[in-house]
Amino acid sequence: MRILLVEDDDLLGDGIRAGLKLADYAVDWVRDGEAARLALLDHAYQACVLDLGLPKRDGLWLLKDLRERGNPLPVLILTARDSSADKIAGLDAGADDYLTKPFDLFELQARLRALIRRAGGSATPRLEHAGVVLEPASKRVSRDGQPVTLSAREFALLLDLLSHKNHIRTRAQLEESLYAWGEETGSNTVEVYIHHLRKKLGAQFIRTVRGLGYRLGDPV
Amino acid sequence: MPGTEPEPHARSQSLRWRLLRAVFATALLVWGLNAILSYTQARHEAEELMDGHLAQAARLLLALVRDNESHLEDLAARLATVRSQERHRYESPLEFQVGRADGSLLLRSAHAPAKSLAAAPGYDDMTHAGHPWRVLTIASTSGDYRVQVAQSIDLRDHTALEVARRTVLPIALISPALLLLLYYSVRRALKPLDELAADVASRSPENLRPLAQNAAPLEARPLVSALNRLFGRLDDTLANERRFTADAAHELRTPLAVVRIQAQVAQLSRNADDRQHALQQILLGADRATRVLEQLLRLARLDPLDGLPHPAEVDLAELAERVLSDARHAAADRCIALERSDDRLLLSGDAELLAIALRNLLDNALRYTPPATTIRVIAARQDGELTFGVIDDGPGVPPAELPRLVERFYRGSAARAEGSGLGLAIAQRVAELHAARFELENLPGGGFAAHLRWPRPPTA
Repeated sequence: MRILLVEDDDLLGDGIRAGLKLADYAVDWVRDGEAARLALLDHAYQACVLDLGLPKRDGLWLLKDLRERGNPLPVLILTARDSSADKIAGLDAGADDYLTKPFDLFELQARLRALIRRAGGSATPRLEHAGVVLEPASKRVSRDGQPVTLSAREFALLLDLLSHKNHIRTRAQLEESLYAWGEETGSNTVEVYIHHLRKKLGAQFIRTVRGLGYRLGDPV
Repeated sequence: MPGTEPEPHARSQSLRWRLLRAVFATALLVWGLNAILSYTQARHEAEELMDGHLAQAARLLLALVRDNESHLEDLAARLATVRSQERHRYESPLEFQVGRADGSLLLRSAHAPAKSLAAAPGYDDMTHAGHPWRVLTIASTSGDYRVQVAQSIDLRDHTALEVARRTVLPIALISPALLLLLYYSVRRALKPLDELAADVASRSPENLRPLAQNAAPLEARPLVSALNRLFGRLDDTLANERRFTADAAHELRTPLAVVRIQAQVAQLSRNADDRQHALQQILLGADRATRVLEQLLRLARLDPLDGLPHPAEVDLAELAERVLSDARHAAADRCIALERSDDRLLLSGDAELLAIALRNLLDNALRYTPPATTIRVIAARQDGELTFGVIDDGPGVPPAELPRLVERFYRGSAARAEGSGLGLAIAQRVAELHAARFELENLPGGGFAAHLRWPRPPTA
């Protein structure tokens, strides 16, 4: 799960990035609206955490620009103002949720999970396919009721596939989802994690679509 | 509302009471004067009437005496019978004496003195038998008889009193109604003032809308417009305060958010390095919150001042040197030069505040210029002006942002928000308190200057 963080404050940006990384998100951090606009054009994100007070292009402008281009990306705005005017302006400009500084890290994580889940078209917090159940909040995965232990990357890969149930995911898409900028990716790491997942969840759970990528296998 | 209980002196200060008292006193005075005037006037008229009456009676008596010269004793007896009949209330006892020119007494009324009274012709007042009398003495033209008639003055006074009473009594009777009418008129006339007071009193502190000017009486309009001006100023001040409070909250929320989220990161990190890093960030966040708070408090203390509380002689050159040596310690890796005049630069001011202003200017230069920038601290006489500030050869500030730099919590687009956003606002306030110009400018050859300047420095 890859997240775009737009925050001009060094200390706060560093904290949010560290906090989201702890929840196994891949986080790209930009410090102004212009850089955020370019990042949004070039990459696919699962969600965006956006501070409203930004240099160069402010957060509201960025939101409007994003929505005008028809991008449905879930956006959570951060505001330091108590007044509801800021929140209303943010929500009306296309934000999906907001948090007022200072906020709780767990709350930020939970709100992001909910935003991503809803954007995937699911109202329940459990993702399920062919007997495999994934609970994003508790990071528990089970197969036919038996708990399965996954590494952070394997978990992120499974979450991505379950969030795009009826889609074929290319290797590039999966890589984008797994790694933030500057993180080293091996040439065949996605294949390695797919291999691990098949071993733990069954060979038919993930199908290879030759020449295109991967998708979930047919439900049992 | 407290304070509606009348104070001991409330009545003497009340417009209504003062008006009522003045009107009542005037009414009473007019009434009293009227009574006295009517009395004296009536007395005077009664006296004239009585004198006329006396003259008539005297002449009549003289004529009777002359006609009855032969049997004066009979006349005396006849005259005595007149008196026994029932008297009209204005027919007062009339006493008389008739005598000869030599002073011998010929006849007299029952109560008249037995002895002849040697008085000159004409009117006179005298006392007889304990009562005041009005006396008229006339002599016959031949000069052989002299007649004296007297009438009790009590009648005159009684008459005058009666007339005065009749004039004054109706007024006395209607005066309660008159006073009541006055009271209500005054009350009614002052009612708009009461309504004005009630309007002001019922307002909440947030309601600073202007009072309706037309509803107030003409005399109260200067007061209303003064109040409205005050409301306007208060409204501006309040709006400023609200904005400042909101900005202050905003500025403190961000470092608090840092502290909170980094603390959680430190709690959750399994990696010792990550934990150390997060703890370090918490310290930086706490430092920033402290800095914002300090500057906020400083500004809050400077804001209400009208002038310097304790101005003293300050040497700007020496002060610049001191600020610089403190800063060198903290920014050892930066290139900072001092340009000070050799002689003392004296002015009347507050050394502590001037040091804070210079420290803020220097802090900004250090914070917002690249590390290789040369920074010069200036304390010198330039073009006849005392100049105290900082110049750097850094990239300067975008011209559009220049006028906004002194706004509280404004940070330029290049800023990374480590500063409090108040440094220049504080420096500007210090300049104001020292009657200095505060100048921020991009230099023609590149670089940025922030100065306090005095054409004529205030002397101690």
